[in-house]
Amino acid sequence: MKPSQFGYARPANVEEAVRLLQEADGSAKVMAGGQSLGPLLNLRLAQPSLIIDITAIRELTLVREEKDAIVYGACVTHASVEDRRVPDATNGFLPSVAAGIAYRAVRNRGTMGGSLAHADPAADWMTTLTALGAEILVAGSAGERRVALDQFMTAPFSVALEDSEFIIGIRIRRYSQAARFGYFKFCRKRGEFAEAMGAVVIDPELGIRRGIIGATDSRPILVPDMDACLRPSGEGIQAAKAMIAAMKIADDPVRDGMHANAFARALKQVAQ
Amino acid sequence: MFVEERLDGQAQVKGQGIGARLPRKEDDRFMRGRGLYVGDMKMPGLADVAFVRSPLAHARILSVNIPPSLEGRVFTARDLEGVKPIRAVSGLPGFKPSSQPPLAEGKVRFTGEPIAMCVGPTRAEAEDMAALVSTDLEPLPVLADFSTAEQSEELRVHEEWPDNIYLETKVNKGDRFVLDGAAIVVEREIGLSRQCMVPLEGKGTIAWWDTRLDQLVVYTSTQLPHMMRTGLAECLGLEERQVHVVAPDVGGGFGFKCILQPEEVCVAWLALTKKRPFRWVEDRREHLVAAANTREHHYRIKAFADADGRLLGLEADVAVDVGAYSVWPFSACLESAQIASILPGPYEMPFYACRTRSVATNKPPFTPYRGVARTGVCFALELMIDAIAREAGLEPAEVRLRNLVRPEQMPFTNITGKLFDSGDYPESVRQAVDAIDLPAFRERQKDGDGDGRLLGVGFATYCEQAAHGTTVYAAWGIPMVPGFEQATARVTPDGGLELRIGVHSHGQGMETSMAQVAHEILGVEIDKINVVHGDTAVTPYSTGTWGSRSMVMAGGAVSRACEIIAKRAIAIGAHLLQTTPDQVVLEEGEVRSRTGSIRFQQIAEAWYKTPEVLPADVAHEGLEVTAGYKPKVDSGTFSYATHAAIVAVDPEFGSVEILDYVVVEDGGTLVNPLIVDGQIIGGVAQGIGTALYEESPYSEDGQPLASTFVDYIIPGPCEVPDIRILHMETPSPFTAHGIKGIGEGGAIAPPAAIANAINDALRPLRAEVATTPVTPHRLLAAIAAAAEKQLGKP
Amino acid sequence: MNDLSLTVNGEKISSLVEPRTSLADLLREQMNLTGTHLGCEQGVCGACTILVDGVPVRSCISNATACGGAEVRTIEDFDRDPLMIELRQAFNAHHALQCGFCTPGMLIMARDIVMRLHGADEARIRIELAGNLCRCTGYAGIVKAIRSVIVSRQEALPPRPPASLPLGPAGSGHASAGNALVHVEKNGLATADAQDKPLQVKAAAAPAPLAGKRAPAVKQSFSVAAPQPVVWERFGDVPSMIRCIPGASLVSQEADGTYQIKMRVKMGPIGAEFAGVARQERNDDALTGIIHGSGRDARSASLAEGQLTYRLVDENNGESTRVDIEVSYQLSGALAQFARGGIVTHFIGAITTQFAENLSRSLSSAGTEEEVVEPGELRIAGSFAGALKAWLVDLLRSPFRK
Repeated sequence: MKPSQFGYARPANVEEAVRLLQEADGSAKVMAGGQSLGPLLNLRLAQPSLIIDITAIRELTLVREEKDAIVYGACVTHASVEDRRVPDATNGFLPSVAAGIAYRAVRNRGTMGGSLAHADPAADWMTTLTALGAEILVAGSAGERRVALDQFMTAPFSVALEDSEFIIGIRIRRYSQAARFGYFKFCRKRGEFAEAMGAVVIDPELGIRRGIIGATDSRPILVPDMDACLRPSGEGIQAAKAMIAAMKIADDPVRDGMHANAFARALKQVAQ
Repeated sequence: MFVEERLDGQAQVKGQGIGARLPRKEDDRFMRGRGLYVGDMKMPGLADVAFVRSPLAHARILSVNIPPSLEGRVFTARDLEGVKPIRAVSGLPGFKPSSQPPLAEGKVRFTGEPIAMCVGPTRAEAEDMAALVSTDLEPLPVLADFSTAEQSEELRVHEEWPDNIYLETKVNKGDRFVLDGAAIVVEREIGLSRQCMVPLEGKGTIAWWDTRLDQLVVYTSTQLPHMMRTGLAECLGLEERQVHVVAPDVGGGFGFKCILQPEEVCVAWLALTKKRPFRWVEDRREHLVAAANTREHHYRIKAFADADGRLLGLEADVAVDVGAYSVWPFSACLESAQIASILPGPYEMPFYACRTRSVATNKPPFTPYRGVARTGVCFALELMIDAIAREAGLEPAEVRLRNLVRPEQMPFTNITGKLFDSGDYPESVRQAVDAIDLPAFRERQKDGDGDGRLLGVGFATYCEQAAHGTTVYAAWGIPMVPGFEQATARVTPDGGLELRIGVHSHGQGMETSMAQVAHEILGVEIDKINVVHGDTAVTPYSTGTWGSRSMVMAGGAVSRACEIIAKRAIAIGAHLLQTTPDQVVLEEGEVRSRTGSIRFQQIAEAWYKTPEVLPADVAHEGLEVTAGYKPKVDSGTFSYATHAAIVAVDPEFGSVEILDYVVVEDGGTLVNPLIVDGQIIGGVAQGIGTALYEESPYSEDGQPLASTFVDYIIPGPCEVPDIRILHMETPSPFTAHGIKGIGEGGAIAPPAAIANAINDALRPLRAEVATTPVTPHRLLAAIAAAAEKQLGKP
Repeated sequence: MNDLSLTVNGEKISSLVEPRTSLADLLREQMNLTGTHLGCEQGVCGACTILVDGVPVRSCISNATACGGAEVRTIEDFDRDPLMIELRQAFNAHHALQCGFCTPGMLIMARDIVMRLHGADEARIRIELAGNLCRCTGYAGIVKAIRSVIVSRQEALPPRPPASLPLGPAGSGHASAGNALVHVEKNGLATADAQDKPLQVKAAAAPAPLAGKRAPAVKQSFSVAAPQPVVWERFGDVPSMIRCIPGASLVSQEADGTYQIKMRVKMGPIGAEFAGVARQERNDDALTGIIHGSGRDARSASLAEGQLTYRLVDENNGESTRVDIEVSYQLSGALAQFARGGIVTHFIGAITTQFAENLSRSLSSAGTEEEVVEPGELRIAGSFAGALKAWLVDLLRSPFRK
């Protein structure tokens, strides 16, 4: 199981990467740590003509602190987040999510940007960062732009990127000390893909109440009525379960139930 | 040197002989990355092989299109002139043999069947070539499951057959009238899904021609090198003396590496005809989609009992989906023959009837996996025992106690004529009940653990007939019938010992345990004993490592060989001590008389270096012996165990957590308890895989749907709990040192114990599972079905 | 080939590698460091775990070229490592290995756990070890061995502060950026031949389908504001029909009345291009026809075979025509070999819908072709999302998602 042949380029800066992407006309793949792409290459399911390795672009491995947000370079690894080697805008939520992604040896090379570009509906970052209201920084032939993450994923494994574009960073707002975060995923085997997941972010100071259902058939789904879900003394949990089951996300009673139950577990973590 | 207490708190045997909990001699090379597996080998001029495999499950091959640029580097069936197909013929009457060409000829019979092979300087380049070879296939309707195949009027996996059944067997024992008026009758459909065996190292073969010895040399990842020699010689039309097979370090076998694979024949053919080295290493995808599968049994079973839960009889109709070809040397029918003969398990019953069919389908061939048919049999039978217990309103453990063969009946011949050698089966249940603290658990179960999960306990008892001998295998009709097992013991001139055994050790720790047997008899330090195995050129003939036979059979042979050496050493020692053999003893590596002692090393030196000191009539046959061994009664040893599991079922996700797992095992005399525990725990881990995770599903058109470790889940460290083991040690009366075979046992009971525990947990919901693996979807579907049923009848 | 420099087990080496070479293959095949084992090459089993720049990584899915300049350590380098000596003793004492195949990866990971997580209990060790599969031991001995070393070192050593590591992928931060591309070798077989290779797949006779064996047919009906004879004539024009199939294109028309076609499908990083043959059979009396196509995607060695049946019915007194179409298919080979393949049905459904729309539009506008949607390549857009999900999800699942 060896990859088919491909060319390899290691651009020094964003502009060069964009130029290479443009020239390749859709036949190139951007690679950071290669932890999602590697297996597809080995299986010969992905056969790009050119791999553009973006890890030599220094700014992509840096973190920039802004007044009300933190911008993580696309090539920041899960392990860097897990180990708190980068500033955290979420009172420890990001490190706890990172620690649950796949396995340590994968986290040492797998990157936030790579995971988001791959857009597996069951991946941790797509759901949790959507719950956090993150934005994606994209570079392309038309310059740089920002996309809200909830607008970024278009379909399973598909994102709103032009052929010449790639992710350069992820911008996450700073949450207050009062913020609470809940995250639950159901996996058959530790470290493997989730069958259902839910994420909840509450920040009373910022007035944020957001719930996301992940590991769906496609894009993460915003829970419509968080106020109902946050009713006290178990009532909210029941409301959430009923609401989500009624959404028929998977149109399969067993899986719809799993989605509802996974979200309820995440909700319980933030219930007061 | 080793201080860990045994888990059961029993006293630790001192020293290095039988019963000592010795760490393994072989570990060191593996821990330094210096094991040598087939894929690690390289030679000048080595070429890698990649196979072009069928994308269809059943199709006529119209043509194989090879680009002209690849001529001479791609080979098809047409090139393999004179190579015979693999034919594993069962001796059972009515068996229909299949012919498996190493590269498909005329038609393909399963997805992944090799059609062509490509040879390149690297695997990547060989795969590049494979991508350029296309096939024109005329699709044929697919027989993707056993019932379609059985019912099909016209379609045949093998055209020349009148139907798609390799063999049908029927057993009828006892008078059916005993079932009349049975107070309890339970009937179930029980199934085990097809799965893979997944040794972590894939199959691999490297072959070349040794011009000096005029021999084909085949290094292959196998459990039975001598059998592979026979199989390769037959297929390639060589004499066996022209074939030298070596099994180097082998990264797990579990039954999978027992069979002669078409790829092995292909690579050997390349070496034979091109006189250059060739290598093929099975990758994970090939293993999951194209290699032999296992476990797929389908039971329709009916159990009869009186109101007290005493078994009156069993009626079963069993189909084994054995796929497209009969595997060599086990044949397509070992599994079903074993089912028919062992389905009554360790229970006494007056009536038993069983029909089995081995059905051909368009899926990869089926080969026995650790536990062979016992895992399926135990699953079916033990689920029935629990069903009876629920009907009778009794504790499942109590129903077992009422029906298990009792110690005073030993040796016991059961309804199918199986001779149980020794043991106290009910005691294993009692110990398991105590270890799991059943009364306390029942209390805890009432309230649950407060997290919404349902708790359940499950038991499963089985017997593991192992080290089956000549008579048993002759009756099962397979092409390989084991006779005597042999071992060579050679004292080296410096007083060390070399043991040569024909079986192969690929995780079982025989480089240590065989040395312990020798140490027991000769007293030679373990560090001075070398165990050589896996090479047809230097080890005695053997049918190899399978059937939990190596410790009993090869251990017995080592024991016999060493006993002969001991006799000769005593003769030499006595002479050197100027006395007679009856005046000395051999202990702790010394021949001792009342007045003096001679070390083993001195005896070796006398024989090899200073033979002038020995008269001609003293041990003139020398200090090198090959001895054969067969137990007094060769129907096999019966180890047995009761497994008990406590599980928590999450009804929201259908997930199962194993909270406690206890094994009470009687493996006879334990040569190395550390290794035995390792075998049991490892077996249980595989059994947990069968119970909850592992499945190779096929689509209706015969496409395998699990081609990666993502689709195919094997348990990881978080999925296998700590296993508690309690040993009973009832020596076998029939074998050397009372050893019984235990290697497979761990993998037999977990699906049954865990499913019983799940069903116990689901009792309040009146749901029941009866198919492996119990996935979240199966479990939730069972709960939903039960809920629907209850709504249906208010 | 490109020249790659690395430090391996303390030695500076340089080697010519293809861009596709993984670290594992470089170590095993070129440097004979065969202690690094390949158990899956899918990034799941952990047998190939090595240290790169001091931290464990999967060498089977780590591109060697990308790790130029990195410091690599394999199991062979730890003979004298004090911690590894302790671990080896513990593994031996606790019977933490049987066949030995997973052991090098286990030890590398175990060493990382001991160094990184002081005080880890058995539950934590199991979690940290979850990415390393062992088929023999049931993990009990491994977990106990690691725990025993952690306990003994807790007594001996104070906890160390976490190492300062780069934030990017381990090993990827060293190689200098290259302006020149490393091109695919032109003498490489795959690229050169695949392009100009003549189509190999002949149209096989349609298999006699077993009842229920074929994937369920997708049915669509639509009305066209044109009289039936006009529509019938248009259906006879196979090239324009093909143009309406998303992603399909006509290569050539053969003398025997068949058509060489291509169909490109792109799904995330996976691209398939089925090349094959189509032909049509028509029944003028019944106003029905069958277009049968079959093709092969050389990249994935997958076969697709499909059949489109159509029937025309007069509507509105002959002013318009109702078109009933039914599509059935069969997919085989690598692209089909994932769980929940039934999703392909939905995918075909989406294609059929698009086809029906295109066809309907093309017929209504009397044969103009401009309005046909996405003729070049079928891309998965949001509208296909639900349809594609399960199949894709399994196709691309988690080893690939990290």
